[in-house]
Amino acid sequence: MRGSAPFRAALALVGVITVALAALEVVLLLSWHAAVPGVLVLFPIVGLIYLAAGVSAWSRRPSNRLGALLILGALAWLAAGLLNVTVPAIAAIGLVTAVLPLALVLHMLVAFPSGRLRGRADRAAVAAIYFATLVLQAPAYLFGQGADPVSAGLAIADRPELARLGSTVQDSVGALAAAIAIVLLAARYRAASPAQRRVLGPLYLYGIAVWLFIPLSARTIPPLLGPIELAVFQLALVAGIPIAFAIAVRRGGFAQMADLDELSAWLAVRSDGAVGLTRALSCALGDPTLRLVLWAPRSGGYVDSRGDRAVDPGPGEAAVEVMLAGRRIGAIVYDAALIGEPSVVHAAARTVAVALDHQRLTVELTASGDRLRRSRERIAHAADDERRRIARDLHDGMQSRLVLLGMEASMLSSAPDLSPDARTAVAELRNGLEASVRELGALVHGLMPPALLERGLSAAVEDLADRTPIRTDVDLDLAPGTPVLSPAVELTAYFVIAEALANTVRHADASRLQVALHQRDGRLRVDVRDDGDGGAIARGETGIRGIADRVDVLGGDLTIDSPPGGGTRITAEIPCAS
Amino acid sequence: MRVVIGEDEALMRRGLALVLEHAGFEVTAVAADADDLVRKATAHRPDLVVTDIRMPPSNTDDGLLAARAIRERHPQIAILVLSHYVQRRYATELLQRPNGAAGVGYLLKQRITDVDTFCTDVRRVHHGASVLDPEIVSTLLKVDAPNAPVARLTPRQLEVLELMAQGRSNAAIAERLVITEKAVVGHISRIYDLLDLPPSPQDHRRVLAVLQHFSH
Repeated sequence: MRGSAPFRAALALVGVITVALAALEVVLLLSWHAAVPGVLVLFPIVGLIYLAAGVSAWSRRPSNRLGALLILGALAWLAAGLLNVTVPAIAAIGLVTAVLPLALVLHMLVAFPSGRLRGRADRAAVAAIYFATLVLQAPAYLFGQGADPVSAGLAIADRPELARLGSTVQDSVGALAAAIAIVLLAARYRAASPAQRRVLGPLYLYGIAVWLFIPLSARTIPPLLGPIELAVFQLALVAGIPIAFAIAVRRGGFAQMADLDELSAWLAVRSDGAVGLTRALSCALGDPTLRLVLWAPRSGGYVDSRGDRAVDPGPGEAAVEVMLAGRRIGAIVYDAALIGEPSVVHAAARTVAVALDHQRLTVELTASGDRLRRSRERIAHAADDERRRIARDLHDGMQSRLVLLGMEASMLSSAPDLSPDARTAVAELRNGLEASVRELGALVHGLMPPALLERGLSAAVEDLADRTPIRTDVDLDLAPGTPVLSPAVELTAYFVIAEALANTVRHADASRLQVALHQRDGRLRVDVRDDGDGGAIARGETGIRGIADRVDVLGGDLTIDSPPGGGTRITAEIPCAS
Repeated sequence: MRVVIGEDEALMRRGLALVLEHAGFEVTAVAADADDLVRKATAHRPDLVVTDIRMPPSNTDDGLLAARAIRERHPQIAILVLSHYVQRRYATELLQRPNGAAGVGYLLKQRITDVDTFCTDVRRVHHGASVLDPEIVSTLLKVDAPNAPVARLTPRQLEVLELMAQGRSNAAIAERLVITEKAVVGHISRIYDLLDLPPSPQDHRRVLAVLQHFSH
């Protein structure tokens, strides 16, 4: 994420204005200060270093506020540098802001890496240091330095004792703020991972060292160095601060690669599902505890990648919703202490939205697949029950009724007082009724084979073989003691065999058929083979598809091996554990 | 000639009673389930029991089991089993009757629509014959493999085999095919040779022999 075009334009404008201010300051310093102008110019130069670091960090990570703080630091330096201008009105700006740059250094240290303050202690330390540098600075320029005409621009009274008192209070509050900050930073360092410590350690040490050294050096070093050398040394140390921050921010601060471009590239080439996506995100955002949850609209809650109810964010955790096209599809749950800025997580959420939606759909599909399988099972059972019922109704009602009508016609045809024509007509009626009975019988048999209903699978398969006009050997291994087959399994196995036999009779030009039924280890294996022409797959029989569906509903497999000229073998494996 | 009928459908029960009376039988009792049939057959000791296969209580093959139980206890009672569907397994079970047992028949229910032939078959069963439905016989005699023994039979021999398997006597076969009984005997001996059937002079034994020849 490199920021939008308007953002970049605004940033460029800020940069240009600041550079212009720095140039103006250089001009002011050169024009109105006679002594050692070379050293004083270092002030605006340090300001420009801050500016460069701030622009660099901010353009790289627009959501990270450290960039903004660095640019504020640049302005603070420029303001403080005005102290050395001999025009009193301008120097007054420098008087007021003389120690503001120090406050910003502390602010940045505490706010690193996101640039935002987290918690009350953060805000207390930063508020204290701004209070010390901006408000408690006042006694120094209001009551002190009466002798210096330039600095006296703001003085209201020459009361050195008040100025000294103010300075003491300022030092104390500043020291207190620094102490709070050091405790905070130490805690943060302790909680950090080794990788994070490699970034935090040098930055904290350098920042605190500079921060402590500058006030102390003013009191301790003068015997060793001349005032010029001291100023140059201090400015050089201070100039290192923005560079250190910029490097840390650009490296990603806490995260290994918070640059989400890399995450996008990763998403483009990987597809190893929830685990991979979570790992990539936690790596990109630097939070090993990060997890992804998926929105389940049906239940109105979040689920994990297995479809189970997700754990709510715990204490210290925060969540950012992942939206796609205005729909909520999931959320990223992360450690609020490790990832300070939600905006990065928001950006990550936008990047992973499509991938997460894909994952969510996969979970949904798996769940609906289960539902679908159960629903198919129910439909298949209902259809079989209906078959059974219709077959029974036809058997008990219509078949008998037609038989009796035929019987009456038969008796009528032998009645003595019938004309020859009537006798012929009645005989035809009888023949027609008998044919209807035969057809109805075939229909009932097709719906629910009576042998299956009355005697079970082995009798029905034997009967099928009897009626197949090709020699058919039957090998039954439904050992007694094995679990009784359910009606659904029996019917499916029966239809597999019936369809296979019918296909062979219709197409295969075979002379031998073999049917084998084996039940073991909770599976029923149905095996039908012929020595015919093969090529059954190429014909794509709808009947075969139908039985394949039936087998599939029961969670079984149907395989057809039918090389042209090599006979056909149809095998079904059906789970039948009770 | 007394008969007990086992049939769970009321309409069919009345129809059967009608046609059996037409054949000269006296219907002494009717039963609507298998257990009742066994009870009534035991109580009435009829000459013939006519029963449906699919009957309560379990609505599977209860009628067939009842028929076998009756024959076991009272071998002198002839048995005629009717069904909307015939299968070899039931035929084999029914035809394995003890020596000296009365006649046995297994026919499709739709045979009633030819009342005269049906009545003839009922009488044959009553007279001790084994009567097997032509559908079973023709299913068994399907000419499948070119080298099967049945394929070597002449069309005339096949006709004789089919009638023989239905349980008809030599005289009946001769009459049906309009040939002499001597010619029938000649055909049958040739069939026995070709199919390698065990010798069984009695008509009803021949039926079982043929059935078993075609069993797998």
